[in-house]
Amino acid sequence: MSDNKKKWFTLNLNSKHKQTSSSCGCGKTSGGCNSHQPKKEELSNDAFFEAAVDASIGDERHKDGFDQVFDVKMDRRSAFKKLTASLLIGAGAAASCTSVTSSSESKEKAQIDWEEQFKGNYKLMDDKEKSATVDRLVRSYQLRTGKNINMSSKNAEEDVLFGYAFNISKCQGYMDCVSACVEENNQDRNSEMQYIRIHEMKDGKGFNFNEADDNYYHEVPAEGHFYMGTQCFHCDNPPCVEVCPVQATWREEDGLVVVDYDWCVGCRYCMAACPYDGRRFNWSKPEVPEEEINKNQHYLGNRMRKKGVMEKCTFCVQRSRAGKNPACVEACPTGARIFGNLLDPNSTIRWVLENKKVFRLKEDLGTEPKFWYFMD
Amino acid sequence: MKIHRYIYNLTYCLLIVILMTSCKHDKEHEYHSVTDKIEAESKNYKGIKTSSETFIDGMNLFEVTENEITFLIPTRKDKIKSYKCTECHTQPLAKMQTNDIKKAHWNIKINHADANTMNCVTCHNSDNMNDLKSITGHSIDLNKSYKLCSQCHQKQYKDWTGGAHGKRIESWANPRASMTCVNCHNPHSPGFDTKWPARFNTQKVKERK
Repeated sequence: MSDNKKKWFTLNLNSKHKQTSSSCGCGKTSGGCNSHQPKKEELSNDAFFEAAVDASIGDERHKDGFDQVFDVKMDRRSAFKKLTASLLIGAGAAASCTSVTSSSESKEKAQIDWEEQFKGNYKLMDDKEKSATVDRLVRSYQLRTGKNINMSSKNAEEDVLFGYAFNISKCQGYMDCVSACVEENNQDRNSEMQYIRIHEMKDGKGFNFNEADDNYYHEVPAEGHFYMGTQCFHCDNPPCVEVCPVQATWREEDGLVVVDYDWCVGCRYCMAACPYDGRRFNWSKPEVPEEEINKNQHYLGNRMRKKGVMEKCTFCVQRSRAGKNPACVEACPTGARIFGNLLDPNSTIRWVLENKKVFRLKEDLGTEPKFWYFMD
Repeated sequence: MKIHRYIYNLTYCLLIVILMTSCKHDKEHEYHSVTDKIEAESKNYKGIKTSSETFIDGMNLFEVTENEITFLIPTRKDKIKSYKCTECHTQPLAKMQTNDIKKAHWNIKINHADANTMNCVTCHNSDNMNDLKSITGHSIDLNKSYKLCSQCHQKQYKDWTGGAHGKRIESWANPRASMTCVNCHNPHSPGFDTKWPARFNTQKVKERK
């Protein structure tokens, strides 16, 4: 078999190459295998035991642990059996170790880590599982840092569909919204991640994002310019959700497009699929100084992320589902940002949609963003 | 030949049946656009549990109905340091303006329209200092100062009543509480100065080099 000469590692579960009687389990074609069954009859008990061990794990004796586990030919069923068994043994060992040498706290920590490791997708959890997950995360944080956080798993409310309107003539480019967003959502301070971008555009040139500057530093508003903010638009037909291979991102009933940070595998398909550059990736471990951490959190919102996962604006789910305005709306000193329930015919957002001339970005794509721009 | 035709027809029928049943009309794609969805789903809107009450509780707000829209705005009188004005203005203005008395309100500079259009008494009533006055001389309560502004700024007033101008207080939910004109604009100088942005992203500069 040619596998023998491979310089790379191959996960060889349920191999297609059926073993023929002439070749043995170690994958070598000639003479290398330590023993063969036909000899058995002539052997004494001890020798038989030795031969049996050789037959089952013979070549594994010469391999390191990793190869032993993975470079074995077996069918899928026994592979999973072995894997689960070894994991259980590992866990048992860990549990018994801690019970002797350390406190019940580390035992609890191990238990939490174990359950966190094998929890399902948040999207598929029922309310009980959701609150159990959130309780675990709160307890875990408490055990690790000695500090308390408040984490919610509040579901979408019926008859709520969140929408947003942005007044281009009011925005002055102060960027107070960006600061508020970073602080509210515990975004990585090292990479200076920010969900919101404010584009400074020249008057009379239309919405020319190529020539716009989203990182200006001069007194604003600058003469002859207008300002336009972009962030996640929470599309009703979100292309980012469509492309996710593991369903780690989805649209909630109230229209919020959210991410399960613990289910995300970090493939960044969604980042590529978003036509509005609404998604951000954690290239490094996000770091927020302990005293700056916003401890009012939601599982789908501003809880602490890890390296290698996507994140994005959630319309501050931890605030909006509680009834508060998102941090950017609250921080804006010009009143350019309007947020509300699209299904309430008497809401302010509905008044804007019905009485002002509104438009959305790249409407022709059919993504149906729930983020409208308007002018005075 | 007839069998062929029979088989042909049968396959054709089957194809149509498959086509008709395979088109998914699931909830996800029930509507053509989000505007259709909003229109359809808000028809049976019965109100929601989420309320702004816990957030605006304890604020001094009062209800106004403007443009047939009812909402809450903050009071003004309790936020003015030396209200009532009559505590100092014990006599009509003309009698108080003598050279002997130290000038009050020296810090207020009017930067609102030009001198042809406005001066102090365009809004303030020299005979009744506790209230404001409209262009036609009607008295306007200080809490309802928006009535004064709306005399000229009709467009902004209309947008404000609907919620397109100005800010909501704390919550997007009902009951609606909105800021009133003077919560953001200084009535004596309602424009805004330029200022420096709140942040500058140094990482972006590095990345884009």
